[in-house]
Amino acid sequence: MPKHITRLLMLIGGALVLALVVRWFVIPDSFHRFGHFRANSVIEIAAKERVFQGSAYCSTCHADRHAQWSASNHKSVNCETCHGAAKGHPENGKLPIPTDTVALCTLCHEAMPGRPQTQPQIVVASHGADQQCKTCHNAHAPKIAAGPVKIEGDVAAGRKLATAECASCHGAKGISPNDTWPNLAGQNAAYFVRITSAYKSGDQQDVMMTPLAKALSDQDIRNLAVYYAELSCAEGASTRVDRTAVEAGKSLAKNCAACHGETGIGSNPAWPNFAGQKAGYLINVMKAFRGGLRKDPMMAGVVRGLSDTDINNLAAYYAAQPCQPTKR
Amino acid sequence: MSTDTLPSVDARRKFLGKLGLVAAGCAGASLASGTLGAFAPKANAATGPVEVFPSKDYDWTKHKWAFGVDANKCIGCLRCVEACKTENSVPGNPHQFRTWVERYVYLEGETHAHIDSHQDPVNIAASGAPNKYRFANRYQNTKVEKAFFVPKLCNQCENPACVQVCPVGATYQTKDGVVLIDEKHCIGCRYCIQACPYGARYFNEERGAPDKCNWCYHRITRGLQPACVDACPVGARVFGNMQERESPISLFIRNNRVQVLRPEMGNSPKVFYVGIDKEVS
Repeated sequence: MPKHITRLLMLIGGALVLALVVRWFVIPDSFHRFGHFRANSVIEIAAKERVFQGSAYCSTCHADRHAQWSASNHKSVNCETCHGAAKGHPENGKLPIPTDTVALCTLCHEAMPGRPQTQPQIVVASHGADQQCKTCHNAHAPKIAAGPVKIEGDVAAGRKLATAECASCHGAKGISPNDTWPNLAGQNAAYFVRITSAYKSGDQQDVMMTPLAKALSDQDIRNLAVYYAELSCAEGASTRVDRTAVEAGKSLAKNCAACHGETGIGSNPAWPNFAGQKAGYLINVMKAFRGGLRKDPMMAGVVRGLSDTDINNLAAYYAAQPCQPTKR
Repeated sequence: MSTDTLPSVDARRKFLGKLGLVAAGCAGASLASGTLGAFAPKANAATGPVEVFPSKDYDWTKHKWAFGVDANKCIGCLRCVEACKTENSVPGNPHQFRTWVERYVYLEGETHAHIDSHQDPVNIAASGAPNKYRFANRYQNTKVEKAFFVPKLCNQCENPACVQVCPVGATYQTKDGVVLIDEKHCIGCRYCIQACPYGARYFNEERGAPDKCNWCYHRITRGLQPACVDACPVGARVFGNMQERESPISLFIRNNRVQVLRPEMGNSPKVFYVGIDKEVS
């Protein structure tokens, strides 16, 4: 073979080897395994740890909240949407409980052009004054239950039944002789029906009230409701008044005002009036909500943050308010 | 043209033929010896047992992912945008994002929409923090003829322009239909950002590579939903496997009249929309 041909062949061979070596260095492992890309990068991306753990993860420790939430309208809003991603929780500490609920809730519920009609929306300026949303709405069960408002009943039949069955504890005129039993005079009829029906159905339990309510028909309950709603509550006014407690309760009561009015006269007949109500009874009720003995998602959320002192002060405040008979 | 061949031409042809043989021989030798190692995995894949890829619990040949957006349901709460940023470590500023939501507002007497998204200065001001997003209620005192929100994200196109332009194979399409970015292999030339007709990519300076939505590939390969789908409180985002007839996305496409963005670009997107106007692109 001529010399110049040999040289040329060597040169070409050298170039080929060099090309293969460069190729070996430059093209990463697994590059052409499935195509013109590095197959291992798929494995790397798929192996990334997830940050959001999902609501089922939360339910292992927070079963009660999870149950309440999953039965509510908010079940489409995952835990981590409001509380933040749960990666590293609980090892690395607590997840935040949103404090500025106005900022949070209005992200979805501020009335805004473009939001579909099916989305519950509020005009922020004219809803709930400057109060936090969670004052009235439990974020885990936001819908406020609205029971029937108009109650039709027979006052005379109610009076007869009340005298026979209720008067021994709740007083002949609906004013209870005992600090821990509620006055019924002047109570909202719709509220009365709702609560008495809850004792009847077993949704709410009380050693005394459960068997009594179970013996009543639905019509009996309506008759009692309209009878007590007509009575004057003025005689039930509390005599013992602790001024300091009342003052402390007054500032706390601002948080209740949106639903229960400034003095405990509510805006909705499905909710109770408790201006002038027995303080001992109010204390028991608030503690029952806090402990879960009375089941109301709204109230459970509102009462959760109250201390025993707060509850005593609130009760003292409402007990000291002048009661007004409800006119419907 | 003459059929006779000159001696010199003949010699040249013979030489080239020999050269070809030598080259083929070299290549064959290098392959057979396996000393270069680079081809070893390929040989294993071809001869070894059928391996499930990319993880032992997930076979990418059994999935064909697709995404649905129902703009009729979107309330513009931007929970998807924040969830996406958290899940995928996207920088906490309004200008870099994998998914976003646009607001289209037609005022009375006007023919064109006012369009804004969370990165509009007015909306940034309303949010109060660089990593929190909210739509300012800026149209509450104007007469609005029509308004709606449109969530957007990478379309994971069937014919992705971004993949075509990548000079190094750092962005590619998986067998289950997701376009991924190999940030270790990327050289940071940003051709892909230019090529995308939907503006779905941004450049992540920290990683030195572009970033975009990958439908939370690390979640969907574990049987989870993408973070934005989980975060959406109104079900405006739908995700699933097209190979399953009763999956959420199969039902979404079958039960709705769906459309894709910019079909004329020929990318064949796999994000299907319901409830958007012609002005949305």
